[in-house]
Amino acid sequence: MARSAVSRRAALALAVTTAASVALGACTSGNASGTAAGAATKGALLTIPREDMGTFTRNFNPFSPNALPMTQQAIYERMFIYNPVKGEAVPWLAQTWETSKDGRTVTFHLNPAARWSDGKPLTAEDVAYTFSLQKKVMGGFDYLASAKAADAQTVQFTLSKPFSPALYELGQQVIVPKHVWEKVKDPAKETNPTPVGSGPYTTVAAFTPQSFDLTKNPNYWQAGKQNIPGIRMLAFAGNDPANLATTNGETDWADQFVPNIEKTFVAKDPAHRHYWFPPVGSTIHWQLNTTKAPYDDVRVRKALSTAVNRDQVVKVGMSGYAQPADCTGLSGGYNTWRDESVAGACSWTKFDVAAANAALDAAGLPKGGDGFRTLTDGKPWEVRISVGSASSDWLSVANVIAQNLAAVGVKARVDSKDWAVVVAGYEDGSFDTGIVWSNGGPTPYQYYRGVMSTETVKKAGEKATENYHRFGDAAADKALAAFAATSDESAQKQAASQLQRIYDETAPVVPLFSGPEWGLYNDVRFTGFPTQDNPYATLLTRGNTAVLVLTTVKPRA
Amino acid sequence: MRFVLRRLGFYAIAFWVSITLNFMLPRLMPGDPVSRMLTQSGARLEPDQVEQLRRLFGLDERPVVEQYLSYVASIFRGEMGVSISRFPTPVSEVISSQIGWTMLLGLTALVVAAVIGTVLGALAAWRRGGFLDSALPPVLVFVGSFPYFWLAMGALYLFGVTLGWFPLRHAFDVGVVPEWSAPFAANVATHLVLPALTIVLVSVGGWMLGMRNAMIATASEDYITMAEAKGLRRGRIMVRYAARNALLPSVTSFGMSLGFIVGGALLTEVVFAYPGVGYQLLASVQALDFPLMQGIFLTITAAVLIANFLVDLVYVRLDPRVRVS
Repeated sequence: MARSAVSRRAALALAVTTAASVALGACTSGNASGTAAGAATKGALLTIPREDMGTFTRNFNPFSPNALPMTQQAIYERMFIYNPVKGEAVPWLAQTWETSKDGRTVTFHLNPAARWSDGKPLTAEDVAYTFSLQKKVMGGFDYLASAKAADAQTVQFTLSKPFSPALYELGQQVIVPKHVWEKVKDPAKETNPTPVGSGPYTTVAAFTPQSFDLTKNPNYWQAGKQNIPGIRMLAFAGNDPANLATTNGETDWADQFVPNIEKTFVAKDPAHRHYWFPPVGSTIHWQLNTTKAPYDDVRVRKALSTAVNRDQVVKVGMSGYAQPADCTGLSGGYNTWRDESVAGACSWTKFDVAAANAALDAAGLPKGGDGFRTLTDGKPWEVRISVGSASSDWLSVANVIAQNLAAVGVKARVDSKDWAVVVAGYEDGSFDTGIVWSNGGPTPYQYYRGVMSTETVKKAGEKATENYHRFGDAAADKALAAFAATSDESAQKQAASQLQRIYDETAPVVPLFSGPEWGLYNDVRFTGFPTQDNPYATLLTRGNTAVLVLTTVKPRA
Repeated sequence: MRFVLRRLGFYAIAFWVSITLNFMLPRLMPGDPVSRMLTQSGARLEPDQVEQLRRLFGLDERPVVEQYLSYVASIFRGEMGVSISRFPTPVSEVISSQIGWTMLLGLTALVVAAVIGTVLGALAAWRRGGFLDSALPPVLVFVGSFPYFWLAMGALYLFGVTLGWFPLRHAFDVGVVPEWSAPFAANVATHLVLPALTIVLVSVGGWMLGMRNAMIATASEDYITMAEAKGLRRGRIMVRYAARNALLPSVTSFGMSLGFIVGGALLTEVVFAYPGVGYQLLASVQALDFPLMQGIFLTITAAVLIANFLVDLVYVRLDPRVRVS
């Protein structure tokens, strides 16, 4: 499951709490010691805050969309873990895997040591069962014809068509024990209060609505990696109270948004407090509704994109934490896929007022007497930029864009409403333009598919759940099909380059910046967190790589 | 008895109106819970998975009238459905796991504020122009008009972070197991002080002014002069003659507030990370979690109506005039 760190945190920054961030910023920059857990305590639990859950409800069902944090990180495991920073898959429950020549069979070889927390061995049967259950409960995997256990350690997936991105989706599905789940009457409605998993920390030692503790799995199959006694999750109803705990030194690892992080967090103890925001999150777009004039004209889309000052967008809107996008649209997570011949010659993602003006003139959108441009038919033109009002960072992104547009004579208005209203407009296609996240995944396939494949384009009036800007390109379809049909890396690279060229040519959306994968830590009590120099995982506590961190960090000696 | 019956009839109608509004308002909001969930998590799902989620959550495509009838029927069966934002936990479980903390915080703050405010108000009115009367109301009104968030953050920073007198968050220490014991109660009490104190600070002024004004009005009544002429003790006149009558409006507002504490103290819960239904309500509105929203609104409605009914009954005891008319 690909998650965009920015949009989540943005959506969660409650309007009510923004006012207080000023107050808190002032508070916490003072000399605060208070109840800070400064001393390294023996047997301390790795403490992690969750700013988006005022209270916890006991639900460790990995199929549930509302499973508790750490369900998919500490309790259940995947066959491999994809690390977006290094762009590599780390073997986990599976030791090796391969795709057949025709691309229709994917085989995983499980680690024979793998065991469940109740001591039973984890076998290929469990994996095959998990996929049938996942399909039944939550759908998805529509390309998967069957999942069979060839022997105790070998799982064979048969696909209904060659589909190379399947490897990553199959490999990153969390696996559940068959002997437990086949006894569950209604898996969709199960809350799984005492989970049996294969992960490092599966024992629910304490549970209250405000916090819960997970301690060691007594039968962990990689017992040598259980270096810490356990994990403690804390519930907070917003960024500010969570930040208070974090800046006060009471949490060890966190990934909520901290404004002015150098001053409020790091400055208090620069030797131990660190943050790392690799720009590998999904690309954030300014999408233009291509079913409406003048946004159906590629010249207009490119001109508007040229008018946007991305450096200013990133600096003002994202506190400098993000990385401006180029004309391939690819985020920093896809650097190995980026075609330098395309990226090196980007024109329409470079800020250039004169070029934008010229392009808009050429597109037949002349400036009127009041200095503002009109549509080709002479009617006044106003660009409405939709954005959810709760996302204060994206709101300032939209404001910067509006100012940039004014500089080229385009009248723009930021239309900030509740996210529900904004997304409803995106879905039914009634929006004008808007700030939006994009699809993610280990390969660029999902990104390009969601941005310019014709099969994701819904007819007018139909509800869309992706490709809100409703742009499809037949050449892109072909390149996507070519990508999906081969598991050969150089052939995939070729298709990806083709996709980048089409993207550069058609400008289906206006890419703004790569979202950062947020994360910060305080190594007073625990050491070994991933860093820029040792990027074995990201610092996202709710990402797939979290288990790598949980099995690496050690109590400070 | 007829009075009680008439009141009951009135409450039945009020209840019906509120559950109907409760049904309609969430449905007037744009969007649906699944797309809401996608926005918040930023997770991308295949279209068929989105459909699957809609089915799983039991999002109705039936005609509104039919939905309404089954909604009313389920209320009378005491079923509130399954929460969507906390799927698959039943709404009743989500609410019951938190309402205890909400009640504890709300009730403590309300009782303390009402008692202190009323006593101060009575004393201030009785010694008009005295120190209490001239100094306290402006101060309390000044404090009460601070933005609550600011006041709470300030108190949290001063007493929690800088002085370290009180814990910074939560209803009890993390890692402590809830149990019926003196040490646990003490733990809960220390966690309760700051949140309750901030609510008392902003609300006590209102209670004091209300009581003071009512008291001044009663103090100029003829029967007070009469009581003084009879030579009764000042204290007795103040408490038994003036305060008892001046108390009536305060009882009304106490009853109203009693009903509203079930709704929770949203900002308090946010600042002090205090578990409670107030934040839950906000979260359910943001997630368009219809069943949970309805469940919490229903609880609030029921609490307000019950509290009002109780106040009506108390009124009959306190004020003989109600019995007659």
